Amino acid sequence: MLTDGGFWIVQILNSLQLSMLLFLLSVGLTVIFGLLNFVNLAHGSLYMLGAMIGYSIATATGSVWLSFFGAPVAVMIIGAVLYKLLIERMRTAGPMNQVLVTFGLIFVLMDIARYIWGTDQLGVTGNIPFYGTIEVFGQFYPSYRLFIIAVGLITYAVLYVLLERTRLGSEVRAGVDDGETASCMGINVEATFFGVFLLGCALAGLAGAIALPAFSATPDMGVGILVPTLVVVVVGGLGSLKGAIVGSLLIGTTLTFGTALIPNFAGIIMYALLVAVLLLKPEGLYPVRA
Amino acid sequence: MMTSERLRQLITFVTFAALVGYWSTTGYFGYELIAEIAVFAILAMSLDLVAGYTGLVSLGHGALFGFGAYMFGLFTVKLGIAPATGMAAAIVATTICALLVAMVVVRVHGIFFIMITLAIGEMGYEFFFKYRYLGGDDGLVGLPRLDLSGIGVNLSDPSVFALAMIVVTLCVFLVLAYLLRTPYGRVLTGIHENPQRMRALGFPIRAYRISAFALSGAIAGLAGTLTAQHTQFITPQLLHWTTSGEVLVMIILGGLGSLVGPIIGAAIVTLLRHELSSYTDYWGFWLGVFLIIVVVSRKDGIVGWLDYLRQLVAERRRPETAEEA
Amino acid sequence: MLSVEALEKSFGALQVTNQVSLQVPTGIRHAIIGPNGAGKTTLFNLLTGELRPTAGRIVLDDLDITHLTPDRRARLGLSRSFQRNNLFTGLTVRQNLAMAAIVHERRGRCFWRPLAGLSTIAERTEEIADIVGIADVLERPVRELSYGIQRQIEVGLALATAPKVLLLDEPTSGMSPEESGRIMHLITELPRELAVVIIEHDMHLVFEVADRITVLNYGKVLLDGTPEEVRSSDVVQETYLGGGLD
Repeated sequence: MLTDGGFWIVQILNSLQLSMLLFLLSVGLTVIFGLLNFVNLAHGSLYMLGAMIGYSIATATGSVWLSFFGAPVAVMIIGAVLYKLLIERMRTAGPMNQVLVTFGLIFVLMDIARYIWGTDQLGVTGNIPFYGTIEVFGQFYPSYRLFIIAVGLITYAVLYVLLERTRLGSEVRAGVDDGETASCMGINVEATFFGVFLLGCALAGLAGAIALPAFSATPDMGVGILVPTLVVVVVGGLGSLKGAIVGSLLIGTTLTFGTALIPNFAGIIMYALLVAVLLLKPEGLYPVRA
Repeated sequence: MMTSERLRQLITFVTFAALVGYWSTTGYFGYELIAEIAVFAILAMSLDLVAGYTGLVSLGHGALFGFGAYMFGLFTVKLGIAPATGMAAAIVATTICALLVAMVVVRVHGIFFIMITLAIGEMGYEFFFKYRYLGGDDGLVGLPRLDLSGIGVNLSDPSVFALAMIVVTLCVFLVLAYLLRTPYGRVLTGIHENPQRMRALGFPIRAYRISAFALSGAIAGLAGTLTAQHTQFITPQLLHWTTSGEVLVMIILGGLGSLVGPIIGAAIVTLLRHELSSYTDYWGFWLGVFLIIVVVSRKDGIVGWLDYLRQLVAERRRPETAEEA
Repeated sequence: MLSVEALEKSFGALQVTNQVSLQVPTGIRHAIIGPNGAGKTTLFNLLTGELRPTAGRIVLDDLDITHLTPDRRARLGLSRSFQRNNLFTGLTVRQNLAMAAIVHERRGRCFWRPLAGLSTIAERTEEIADIVGIADVLERPVRELSYGIQRQIEVGLALATAPKVLLLDEPTSGMSPEESGRIMHLITELPRELAVVIIEHDMHLVFEVADRITVLNYGKVLLDGTPEEVRSSDVVQETYLGGGLD
């Protein structure tokens, strides 16, 4: 198996595809951590809602493409409501209270999803874009999964330009570095925070919507994806775009190859990696605030 | 005027009286409920010792709890050791495990502490999920209960078992309440309040944190061996981070850093889970809403609310002293 | 006796402590003065171990403590107060002082006897409360008390561990003249087996209590001498006191 080049190509593509999904989730979470100092355990639930809403849009309109746009917008609106109702007032409440409130939110959102969509596995079958397989270095690979990789890479490129090259980006970076000073310099920190939070929600919703055709959706999918996402964020370093992409690749690769090679211990390796990183670099690989 | 201290004693008395009162009037189903409440009350008190008094919010306590249960299973079911010895050995093993974990985790702080305890806990979960020798994801069955027939106690009787569990809970409560009143306990409180100052005063705070975490692990391990004896069937789910989260919820509902609060929280969450799940499929929704309200109100849970009421009453009765203060 | 030899600290390219040497013999009152940003508090943090020096040595009674942890140094007899009150605000004054008394009585590991039953700790607590003048508020929660009283507790906590060297970081900052007077009196009354290093902005207090003064500027020792030498130094007058000292 190990000498078979095809095995490596498929696994590399699989790990890229998982990494990109993790990236879409973790990038929003990490900036929310870094900028708002907010621990959002319900971020995985937003991913789940993205998949569920995507399912409804795709089945109602018959267009999966439409779900890629509709689901992020819907999740963003849900995020806005949550922000105004809860998150804003929990910003200064300390990590433990934030953990608890968002832990409560996980249950609430999961049961709302169960109420609306039931507990069965949901999947879309018709009209999937990029249906079929494509030959990559002699291996047949589902084209849709390549599409997921592309979405992740494009998102990274867009965010990179947005953060490094625009005024909004410099405001965000100033806010992550030192919120107090940034607000003194006339940056509307509150508005920036809100915008970034919404962007993070939209990306989580997008991740859910594009994951749906490749996998399937259940109300508890948010809990399953949450822990690897948190691991990415902590390994990469809170608030860092570079940390999110490097962390995603690291964790995605570890999980994929771990599952393929030593299926019993893939998860353990991921957690061991996290522990090792935290002990060597307690702030993660690319901390924004050194 | 009633002091905060007196109020807590009163709450504690009422809590235990309610448990015993319920025990004396209930039947089989109630006994099961009491045993479950007691297990989680002990686990929640152990977490309160580190989260509420020492300031270490661990999301890995479920793993220590499950580890204790699995060690008990390993010693009794797999190695054929007598339950009493197995129970002691399992608690010792969990304490050592917690000690090793503590030496690693106390090096990071705040949100990183929460994450690293979660990660280590999940490692344990994955391990027992995959480890076929101890049943893997099917769990482990046939765990024995302590044989106390020598002193005339038959633990296989659900009623006796439930009462014994109340007694163990009370013992753990008394031991911890005593410990917190000793200089060592006061030092833990001080480290929670202001670690920088404690270090400047000359306390090796890392050593205190490690010892508190290990002690807490011992109690979590005890709770694990008790749940193993109660249900006589254990699964890796005990170690999952959501178990840790639920225990944290219990503490917050009842009142962080109050020791009796976690007992009340354990009772409420356990009752809600059973009662609500018989009325609705969506009990998680209501528990979540309840939790959010409690945390957002920022009154340190039920014990905090009661203390707040006590202050209101006291101020109304004696407006002149209230002004002076 | 505390001795500091050629201590250096830099944060990146910024050198905040530059070749600082000090000798603080037993019983001396040593003041450290200098303009804001001269590196006074950094020097304290280096002495107590909250910061690690880039170079140099710190020696306490012939023991090299340069690389010891802050708590270890504190147990060896190096105690500090903080520039901003750094107390246990949720606890009462008694509970605050008892923390330090537990260190003094070496009872921190005692988990078998209730604190309330240990009379030595209560005695030490009350003794310190008397010395710093807060005996009448012992049972009050710290957060209810005035800033000045909290400042006294701050000094009391540093004092209660019975240190060999007491480091006071601006003990009178933010106090009214009357309150500063109390602190000044307290410092002059401290037992003579104790060395005191004090950072202070109030020049009256400095010249009143100090046996020796070190003037820091840009992290360097500008002058080290008796109060008279400092008062008459042209360099000090120009760079720091601005000639306006009366």
